[in-house]
Parts: sequence; C-alpha cells; structure tokens
Amino acid sequence: MKRLLLLLGCFLLCPALLFAQKGRIVTGTISSAQNTALENVTVSEKGTTNAVVADVNGKFSIKLTTDKSVLVFSFVGYATKEVAVGDATTLNVKLDNDKGDLEGVVVTALGISRKERSLGYATQAVKGENLTMTKEQNVLGSLAGKIAGVQVVGASGASMGGTQKIKIRGVNSINGSGEPLIVVDGTPISNANFAGRNGGDFGNLGQDVNPEDIETINVLKGPAASALYGIRGQYGVIMITTKKGNRRGKNLNVQLNSAYSIERVGNFIPLQDVYGGGSSQTWRTLANGDKYVDMSVDESWGPKMDGTLARSVFSFYPQDAEYGKLTPFVPQPDNVKDFFETGSTLNNGITLTGGSTNHNFRISFNDTRIKGVEPNTWLRRNNLGLSASFDLTSKLVFTSNINVAYNKGQRPSQGYDGGSRYLVQWFQRNIDINRLKDYKYADGTFKQWNLNRPTAAGVMNSYKALYWNNPYFEAYENLNNDNRSRFFGDVGLTYMFTRSFKVSGFARGDMFTQNIEDREAFGGRYVPAYATGKYENREMNYELLAEYNKTWQDVSLNITGGGNLYSRRYNELYMATKGGLSSPGFYNIAASIDRPTVSNYLLTKQIKSLYAMASFGYKDTYFLDATLRNDNSSTLPVKNNSYWYPSLSGSFVFSEMLDWKALSFGKVRLSYAKAGSDLSPYQTSQVFGVGGVYGTTNTLFVPDRLNNPDIEPSFANSFEAGLDLRFFKNRLGIDFTYYVQNNKNQILNLDVSGTSGVTSTVINAGHIQNKGFEISLTGTPIQSRNLVWNIALNIARNQGMVKELYPGTNVYALDVNTYSGVSAYLNSYVGKPFGSLIGKAYQRDAATGMILLGANNMPLYTNADYDFGSVVPDYTGGLRNNFKYKNFDLGVMMDYQFGGKFFSWSKMMAVKTGMAEETAAMNDRGKNVRDDPASGGGVKVTGVLASTKQVVTAYVDARTYYRTTLGTHVYEEWLYNASYIKLREVRLGYSFGNKIMSKLPFKSMNLAFIARNPAMIWQKAPKGLDPSELSAGSNSISWLETGGLNTVRSFGVNLNINF
Amino acid sequence: MKRLSIITISMLLLVSCTKFQDDINVNPNLPSTASNTQLIANAELYLPGLSSSPQGEYYAQYLAETEYPNLSLYNQVNFGFYDLYAGPLMNLETVLTSGKYDGNEGPVANQIAVAKILKSYFFWHITDRWGDVPYTDALKGKGNFAPKYDKQQVIYDSLFKALEDASNMIVTGNISNDIVYAGDMTKWKKLANTIRMLMALRLSKIDPSKGNTEFNKAIAAGVMTSNADNLVFKHLPDASNQNYWYGQVFGLNRSWWALSKTLVDRMKPTSDPRLATYGDKSKNTNDYAGLTFGNTAAINKDNFSLMGTSIWKQDAQIHLVTYAQSLFAKAEAAKLGWITGGDAAAKTNYDLAIEQSVRQWNNNNITGLATMMAHPNVAYDPATALKQIAEQRYIHLFMHGYEAWAEWRRTGFPNDMVSPGGKAVPRRQGYPTEESFNNTTNYKQAVQTQFGGQDDLSGRVWWDKP
Repeated sequence: MKRLLLLLGCFLLCPALLFAQKGRIVTGTISSAQNTALENVTVSEKGTTNAVVADVNGKFSIKLTTDKSVLVFSFVGYATKEVAVGDATTLNVKLDNDKGDLEGVVVTALGISRKERSLGYATQAVKGENLTMTKEQNVLGSLAGKIAGVQVVGASGASMGGTQKIKIRGVNSINGSGEPLIVVDGTPISNANFAGRNGGDFGNLGQDVNPEDIETINVLKGPAASALYGIRGQYGVIMITTKKGNRRGKNLNVQLNSAYSIERVGNFIPLQDVYGGGSSQTWRTLANGDKYVDMSVDESWGPKMDGTLARSVFSFYPQDAEYGKLTPFVPQPDNVKDFFETGSTLNNGITLTGGSTNHNFRISFNDTRIKGVEPNTWLRRNNLGLSASFDLTSKLVFTSNINVAYNKGQRPSQGYDGGSRYLVQWFQRNIDINRLKDYKYADGTFKQWNLNRPTAAGVMNSYKALYWNNPYFEAYENLNNDNRSRFFGDVGLTYMFTRSFKVSGFARGDMFTQNIEDREAFGGRYVPAYATGKYENREMNYELLAEYNKTWQDVSLNITGGGNLYSRRYNELYMATKGGLSSPGFYNIAASIDRPTVSNYLLTKQIKSLYAMASFGYKDTYFLDATLRNDNSSTLPVKNNSYWYPSLSGSFVFSEMLDWKALSFGKVRLSYAKAGSDLSPYQTSQVFGVGGVYGTTNTLFVPDRLNNPDIEPSFANSFEAGLDLRFFKNRLGIDFTYYVQNNKNQILNLDVSGTSGVTSTVINAGHIQNKGFEISLTGTPIQSRNLVWNIALNIARNQGMVKELYPGTNVYALDVNTYSGVSAYLNSYVGKPFGSLIGKAYQRDAATGMILLGANNMPLYTNADYDFGSVVPDYTGGLRNNFKYKNFDLGVMMDYQFGGKFFSWSKMMAVKTGMAEETAAMNDRGKNVRDDPASGGGVKVTGVLASTKQVVTAYVDARTYYRTTLGTHVYEEWLYNASYIKLREVRLGYSFGNKIMSKLPFKSMNLAFIARNPAMIWQKAPKGLDPSELSAGSNSISWLETGGLNTVRSFGVNLNINF
Repeated sequence: MKRLSIITISMLLLVSCTKFQDDINVNPNLPSTASNTQLIANAELYLPGLSSSPQGEYYAQYLAETEYPNLSLYNQVNFGFYDLYAGPLMNLETVLTSGKYDGNEGPVANQIAVAKILKSYFFWHITDRWGDVPYTDALKGKGNFAPKYDKQQVIYDSLFKALEDASNMIVTGNISNDIVYAGDMTKWKKLANTIRMLMALRLSKIDPSKGNTEFNKAIAAGVMTSNADNLVFKHLPDASNQNYWYGQVFGLNRSWWALSKTLVDRMKPTSDPRLATYGDKSKNTNDYAGLTFGNTAAINKDNFSLMGTSIWKQDAQIHLVTYAQSLFAKAEAAKLGWITGGDAAAKTNYDLAIEQSVRQWNNNNITGLATMMAHPNVAYDPATALKQIAEQRYIHLFMHGYEAWAEWRRTGFPNDMVSPGGKAVPRRQGYPTEESFNNTTNYKQAVQTQFGGQDDLSGRVWWDKP
C-alpha cells in the first residue's frame, strides 16, 4: 500500500514537469483516405470537454485548453484517430474508413485475428464497457440481450453470484445440455456449476472472470465459427479477450474504479390479509375456553383476523413476556417483506497498465463485498489479473495471462425446503416476523412459530419446530458456506520465423477448488448434521500453432495448423454426518453419531487434437475458408475414438462491386460445418454400484443406467447464411443470419422401461433440428457535436424440432417432479419442439371447451399427461440505447423474451396454503370466497357438468377448490407464459470537465448512477414471479420454479478515475 | 531455438498419437465385478419397502390420516414399479444369469436358490399389486428395452415352478452376506415353500384345483414351523438402516397416522393384547380410539390412538412372511377341504395362528391371549370360520398393508371397509406413468386386454374373481 501511495505521489507531480501549450490555437484540414474533405468530424481535446466540429471543407480550428494536448478526431464510419499536438499549430489529418467496431479485426477461434469482412460465419462482439456499465458481477449475466441468438436465464441477485445460464441458438441436444465453451485469452475455462434446485446457488464458475478485465467478448454462434474447437465448441464459444497494456502508450497508467450499490427486494406474490393461520375458520380452544392460534398448521386457512383475542404461539413460551396472555388476532401484511434487509455491494478495483517498445503489461486487482438481502448472507470476492508480453529477442515473444479469483460466501437457500422460501409457500398471515427476529430466548430456547398443539390445559409437550424452522434460525444457525479458489491462465512463446510465418506454443491451465459446507443446527426441525464437500478440477491444454499469413497484390492467404492436448483431472470428496451430531456446536465429520456418508470420485479425461485451416482472399472481396479438425477422445470406445470435422465458409463483399453511395458496406456469407461431441468418462463399460452397509455387511448393486461399449461420437451439421449491410457511412447497420442445425445420433441417456432391469441406457439416438434467424440492428440516429445517440437491437427467433428418438420411442423424459403424489414432467416428443411441459390439465367439454365439473361442482382434471407446449421461447433479444450529451452519458439496456412457458410452484403453494390474495377475494355476490357457499360465499365456478353435460354456474368451498383441487392437481393453473420485457441496466454518467479536473490530480473522472434490474417493464406471468430469473442451479433447462429467490433491484454509484 | 524445436516435435508426437493409457476410461470409482451374495444382500435391503409404505396401509385401512388427508382418499392412480425391477430384481437376475460364481460365498446352488426365492417373492408382490406385468422378457437389459407383459396366470405358474426348483436345489451349507437369515438354508427352504403355499391359497376362487395341488405340494416340501422361521427384516438403530416410519414420525415430526376405527373396533372389544403394541392410547381419553378411515374434517389428534412407538421405532422389525400366516392358511385350507382334518384341523391351526401372532407382536408374551381367545368373536365357530380366519389374519397382518389388502380382495373380509368420499377400495394399482412413455405398445395392450383400456384402481387382477 505504501508503494502504491508513492506511485500515486509521483503521478501527482508529473503534470508540473510538462511544458505549457495552453491557449494555443491549432488549425487544420481533415480528409478521407481517398483525399476527399470530411465535414462534421468532431475534433476534441482528449480528457476535456473542449471540442469543435469540422466545416464543410473539412477545416477546423481549436483553442487548446490544456498542456501537452492530444486531439481526437472522430466521425461515424471512420476510425477514430488521436494526434499528439506537440508544438504544431497546423494539423492535416487523414481518417481511415472505420472497420473497427463492427468491421475491424476480430478474434476468432484459437485466438486467430481475422478481418471481420473475411468471415463466412456469424460472430457478434460486445465491448467490455457495455458489459460493466452497471457492474454486473457475472460475465454471462451481463450478456443478456446483448447478442442476437444468445439466451441468458439468470438467478436473482439475492443469490449473490448465482447461476446465469446461456443457450446459443436454442437447445441443440435432446437431453437439454450443451452450454457454450468459455475461452479467455485462448484458455478454455470451466463453467461448472455445483448448485441444485434446492440449497445455495453457488453459480456458474465462468463468473470467476473479472468483468473489469474484459476488453471484448466475441460470441462464436454456430459450428462453423467454432469448428476449430471441435468437440468442445459444438454449442458455440464465448471468446473473452482481456485488456492488455499498450506498447505505445505511457509507461504507467493507473485507473481506479469504485462502485457502491444498495439492493432491495422487489416483486412479491400478492398475499391476502383477511384470514390467519389454521386449517378451519373455527377457533381452537383450550379447556379454559381461551382461543388459540393453531401453531401446528403452516397454512392460512384459519379464522378471520378480526382482532379476536387469542393466544398466539408466543404466549405458550414461559420465557415470553406474552406468556399466558391473549392478544388480538390481526394481519401482518408485511411479514414476508420485512424479513428481507437492504443489501449492498461495494466494489473497488485498481488497474495498472503500461509498456514500452519491447513489453507491455496490465495488472488488476478487484475486491467485491456483498451483503445479501437475506439476513446473514454475504459474499466476498477478489480477482487478481496479470497479463504481459515481452520480446525476448526480436523474433521471440513471451506472453502470459494469469488470473486468480477467490470467492467466499454464506448464501441463502433457494428452492422448496429450507431457507426463507417457505414464507410464501407455508406460513401464517398473522405471524409478526419481527417477533421471530430474536430467535432465541435468554435461556437459549429457540423461538419457533410452528409447533405441535398444546394439550387442553395449555401445556406444550414439545418446543421442537414441527415442519418449519423460524426463518431467522435458518439464517443464523443453518449456515451454508462455500469458498472457491480459482486460477486460470497461460504462458506462451511465439517465434516469428519471418514476417509471414510464426509458430507459437502455449501451456494453458484452469484449476479450481470448490468447498461447500452445510450445517443443520441443533434445536431445529431436523436431525443436526454437517456436510462438507471438496471439488477439485485441473484442466490443462497444451497447444501448438503455426500460422502463415501472406498477401500478394490481390490475393491473401492464411494457413494455420496446430495441435492440442487436453487433459483433465477432477476429483471430489464428500462427507456428511449421519444420525446426528455428538456435541452441540461441534460441526465436524468426527461428530457423526452413525457411520458417516463418505464418497470420493476421480475423473480423468484426455482429448488429442490436430487441426488446420486455410483461408483465401481475393481483392479483399471474395473469401473462402476451410477447416479440418481431428479429435481423439479418451471417453469413447477405442474403436470409435477418432473423428474428423470439416467446415467450409465463404464471404463476398459485394459493396465493392456496387457504386451505391448509401450502402457503405455489404457482404453475404455462407457456411457449412460439422461439429461433434463425445460424452463424460466411464460410460462405456459395466460397473456395479456400492450400496448401503447393513451392520457389517456391505452390498453392491447393478446400476440403473446401462453403459454402452459401442457408443459413437455424435455429430451436428449446420448450415448458415448471412447478410451484413451498412448504410449511410455506417450509421445504420443490419446483420441478418439464417441457420439450420441438425444434431443427429446424439449420445443420450435414454429412459427405457425399468422392467428391462435398467431405467436408462447410454445410446446413440435421436435427431433434433434447430432453425432460425438472428437480426442485429445498429444505428446512430443522432451524431452531432453535443449529442450522440447509438442504438443496438437484437432479435432472434429459433424453432426447434425433435425429429426422431430411439426407434419405437416417441418420448424422451428430461425431468420429473413429484409432489403430494402428483407429477409434472419435462418431456420431448418426436414431431414436437424440444421440451414439452406435462402435467394435469382441466378436463374440458369437447364441444364448448368449457371446464368439466364433477358431482360436487369441482373441476375435473386429466391424468398427468397433458402437453402444455414447449418451454423454449420463440423470440429473444435486447435493445441497447446509448446517449452522449456533453459531459453526460446515458446507457439503457433492455432485454426481452417472447414465448416459452414454466410452472410455478411458489404460486401453487401460495394458493394451496391460503396465503395468496385470490384465496380471500370477494366474489360477485359481494361475499368473501371463504364464506359458506350456502350463504353467499364460495368461489364462482362455471363449467359443464360431466354427468349431465349441462352448463352450470356454482359457488364452491374455497378451501376444497384451491387447496385440494387446484393447488394439488391442476398444473394448468400454475402454467405461465415466460414472455417479458425487462429494463435490465441503466447508467447515467458524468465526466468531469476541465475546471474541476485541473484542480484534481487525475486525468479524467467519471461518476455514474447505476441501476441493475430497476424494473420489469412487462411480463405475462403474474406479479411475484420473474420469468427472467428462472435458473434453477445446474439444471440445464428451467421449467419449474420451486422457490426462486426474490427479485433484487439494485441502485448505486460508480466512480472511475484515470490517473 | 533448439529447445523450442524439441518442444514442438515432442508436442506433435504427443498429440498425433491416438492411443491413450489403457485404463484412462476405466472407472476408478466403482467396482467392475460384484460378489453374488453382496448383490443378494442389496436386494434384501428392499424387503422392508414391500411393507413400509403408507399406501399399503391405506388400502388395508390399518391407518387413517390425521392431517392432510390425501393418499388415503385414493386420489393417486399410478404407482411406480421401476425401483423394484431395476433395484432388487436386476441384482437377483444378475446372480442367476451371470454364470460367475464364487464358492467361497457358500454353495453355488444355494446362492442361486436364494436369488430365485427372493426374485419370486418380489414378483409375487408386483403382480398382486398391478396385475399382468413384464416377466419372461423382463430383466434382459439391452436385450429388450420394452418387454411384453405376461398374464398373471403365467407368472403364477412360473413362480410356483421357480419356488419348487429353489426348494429342491438347496444343499447343505450356509451362504455369506445374508442379512435376513444369516445364511441358514433350512430357513430359506421353508420360506420358499411357505411363499408357495400362500400363493396357492390366492387361487382359491379363480383356480381352486391348481391352488389345492400347489398348496399340498408346498406343505409336503416343508413350510415354516416356528416364528424363528419368519421372513423378518430387522432394522438397525442407525440412520442408514432405520425404519421408514421412524424417519416419518421422528425425523419429520409427522404424527400423521392414527389406527383406523376399522381396526380398533375389531380389537378393543376382544381385549386383544396386540392393540397396545399397534397403537398408543389417546392423549386426551387415555383409551384406545380409532379414527374413521378417510376422514377429512379437522380433528384433534389427541383424541385418537396414534401408531404405536414400537411400530415406528428406529430398529423396528418388519414382518413379511410369517409362521402365523402359514397357520391361518392351513386353517382356511382345512375349512376349504384342501387339507384333511376339517373343522378340528381348522380350529387347531386357527388357535395356534393367533397365539403365534401374539407371540410375534408382543415379544413372545402371551398375557391376555386366553381372555381374547374366549371372546365369542374370536373363539372358533365353524359357522363363521372363514370370516373369523380372514379377520384374525387381517389383525395379524397389521402394517403389512399390501398383503392384507390382497387377502381382502380375495376373501372380502373385513367386509366393513370404508369408501372415502365415495371412492371404493382399490382392487389394483395403476401402472407407472413412465410405462406409457417407455413401453407404450406393450403397456397399451396390457391395459386393453385386462381392463378394457382403463388403467385405474378399479380393474381386477386375474385371481380377483368377483
């Protein structure tokens, strides 16, 4: 720290040493490469707000306001140019056509830089600044809406770094898996996920990339783009390029970045405030006649909360001030909301960059501290980054990227059981949450709200929590802790034999150790327990690449060849106590009362690859690429373990042939590629499972899954065509892509009839097709001296179709969830889109479509085999608007999704347990639905009587209707459309002007107000659910919400200082 | 530079080689061979599951739900059997077909015999619950992923044969890793014949002559002769081997089960000494009181007898095939004339059956037995003998719901079962929903030929003749 201060001190002194230029006027002319004068070019003095616009003849005149000025010449469609003024008074500047942002050089597979115009396939990039505009912590999450064809399904901010899942171009495997490969500076990194539907959401490991380090993210969407990644790139590649030091810049540049935001929970399911805890409106009474609240019922079907004097659960605790007393039975409208706290995120980062002619470096450090919105939850994260390159000789360059991340968290539980999620699922509307906050009495007795009923005399036989712990007991005693150390990076050498031929070799590593700990405390509902898991992964890639690049007059040639050795070793160790703990407060495996559960697991895998690519260009107009890759995977049977994938792509920049002024650039592209995939290890030979141990007898069993020694790699064939058009000097751009991808002979764990003795088998089968289009529109509607407005709109449409499964099988079961004996399924059917939601629907009259009613006027329902349609959305995309007005910048990011469906269990439970608003609504007879139907109450039901086929309108008992019928069986009621339009990110920044800056020791400073998830603009699903946050841990498809954490809205400030 | 070249060349060599270390794809985490007796032991771990399930208790109406009545209202139609096929049955089939035997684990013939007996027992249980099920084509792994359904009659015939074979092939010498009989083959032999005898009685309506023949063959081959011969699964006082009900009542705080009125009203008037074992006295009245089965109104649990502590305790014993059951079977057979001795033999067996039942349930303590036996409802009466035998068997089979339910379907006793919400007591269980996905053609055909296309609770299995 001391050294840093010293460093900073030096910088404070620097400006004084520079000679003065202030006040001098510099004039000049700006022209294009073709020597035509350029008007309207903005000429600004770097680091200040001082700027002028060139006139119709390209002439400008600017009065310098600082010393050692650098002038910045910028104009849409041209590459921005910076010119140090030095002691010049006249500057004639030529601007080159801008191929930069959208049409410059892009980093493609294996880190090969290519001219964007030469690519015959779709890639789309996002700049780092657009990822960190509101300081989203998870890189994948910050891609939401920013890339056409990329669907992000996120987790609530309450999870603090929870799962963000990505699918590119729909679901390309019948089993729903298939996430893109994440590559950082050429190093593939793990995006593993240790979270389940229930418990803590530790998030996807791709989040260990420090967003502040990212220069650009380029998404390789189809197999053609990712062909050189072979097996691992079948589902697309997310190429992350980090920021590097500048060899032509100053020796040292320091940047500080701080952000602080507060987080509030929003979006609650509307609950009723009329009826309190209990299962019947009749009061329970003690022998002495005192009414008491039925604390054994975790539902709100009880008596009216009309102030009746009754004994609350607390009145049965002798330690309580309320002991033995009667208190009014009244609603606690905010008893769910009040549980949550205001969270905060503090993020501080420092970056040092520098370089000179023979080296460059960048060092970054980031510290994030999050206090969660759920009590006693937090996350701490540190990222360290170093990237450097040195010229060891004039021909030999050493490069290295080193990333270290450390995460440590105490997270809330999501899902059905545990944590606070039950507050909308099983609770009493009359419980004062603030009374639960102090969850322990002075004598150590835990204060619970859910207990067995007292005896008639009012004596409690047990104070042990019945079904639910006090939520504060969950928060402060049942702790979930996790931490993860992560390292990834590379070292490499590049030898330039000639200007056109170079060979490079890299060793790349990605390693992590994830620790997860769970506690079940003494004095709670469950047997005390402790579990700890350690999950270690090491992945190495050794890569060799030879590149030949040559341009003759009209012909350009690029030939690349190389090889890669991938080697992975993963092991885990999991231990859990069994039968309780021996000593209160001692959370250790050694405290296990019975033989603890212990398991260890080791996985090793290798892939050996060779690949080559040739790319030809003619007149910078016609381009043709061909690639070939061979992979050998250790997980496949020896006879089938070597396989080849080719790809072919071409592009034609037809604007070069046209003389249409409005069209600045036009390109068509076509590609074909084959991609393949293998499978996880150890699925090709028979093994036995290790079963339970009875006394001293160990047992073994035949596993339910049958392995297959004849498995083959599966292949995807994709075809893609695209059109890239830019108009009006690049102020309007349209990129259109159409694709068809056929994934055949997939490696599936196919469910088979369990009567065969196995319930599934690893098999090659099936064919899933995805086709669709992507449009990305970019535009600059306004470009003037003071105001610039940029728009980027992404639209993607995907249609998936399961063309075939295993012969004789028409359905593939992806997932099932059974509750209260009622199942809901996620299945795929031949001839239908991927992922049908299956459950019980209303029985309907064939003629009228009305609901069929049974003898008691209750709706009748089908078996759990009704197909409600696909979970996959039809359209996804986003809209980004950036405004720059004088010193202000405003960024607004929205994303959207149309179509797709999901079941919500939270909503179902809220209704089932009489908590949801509708269970205590007024009916059209002016009475509460819970009142006796015979006297004007009841829920109005209209339908066709199954027995007589007569249309009837009846009023039925609310509890039987909501709890026993709808809330237990009719999943059709809990099916929601997942369409939404969400305001995801807003940033309003201000760059400080000269007057202030001249008094400060900084070069520039930007202060911004940032907001993440400030509002859901529109959604089809009812309030309280968030279709954009359905991720359920590592489950590949989100189809069932069982207790997602509440939506979190985040507002804060971000300060960025450049020295 | 030289070094770089070396690295380059060595890397290329490394990569171009398509061979991997031989063991790289061999799973180091699991064994690739298995001991037959350990496979059998794993199958035995599934035995308590044949009894310990709320559903069976509801079908037999032993227990009533005190809270959240749901399954006892017969709302659920489809029930899974994959866990039985892919679980114990596949283990046993592997023992029978692997061809790899290790004599160190006991005589090979005995290993095979035990696997056959257990396989037969599991299949008997399955076919009685669902009806026709895959049998001959089942358990073939990749040989047949969609096995056809066999007629229940065919399955019964095969099981009789398998049990007979098993009983005949047993030689002297214990097997290892046997967690139910500690390898004692004389007990396995008695078990095989007792199962065969009980199965034979199941045919009393549909095919009495076949039933009669098998019954007598079974007795001739040697059935159980004492409670020590019982097929009992003894849970252990540890969390990995504990009673299902302990997990429910103690682990999950679920005091959700009271003795049914159907049961208590049969036992209380006769001062049945087993009642104190079956249930607790109600907290409020300090007396035994059954809860009306299928009750949906809110009640106070403290007014009823909840499931007894010794029933739900962690290391409770689960009685599956018992000596008393065989005695009841003999009593009925005598009354039916399948075996000789008429009413006298029937009475002897009936009285002994009740005594052995009391001994089994009350820790060999027969206090109160004589008083109960003297009660007119219990004392053997030739006029109502079949009803008495069936009802006493019903009381004896407490907590073995599926078996008691099968006997109810066959005999019609007890004849005062409740129809909760108007829903009749099921006569079978619906096939697992997954069968309609994974074995569509065979499933549809089975449902069509047996039940006219309706896969529900009302269809009758083959032996369940109206």
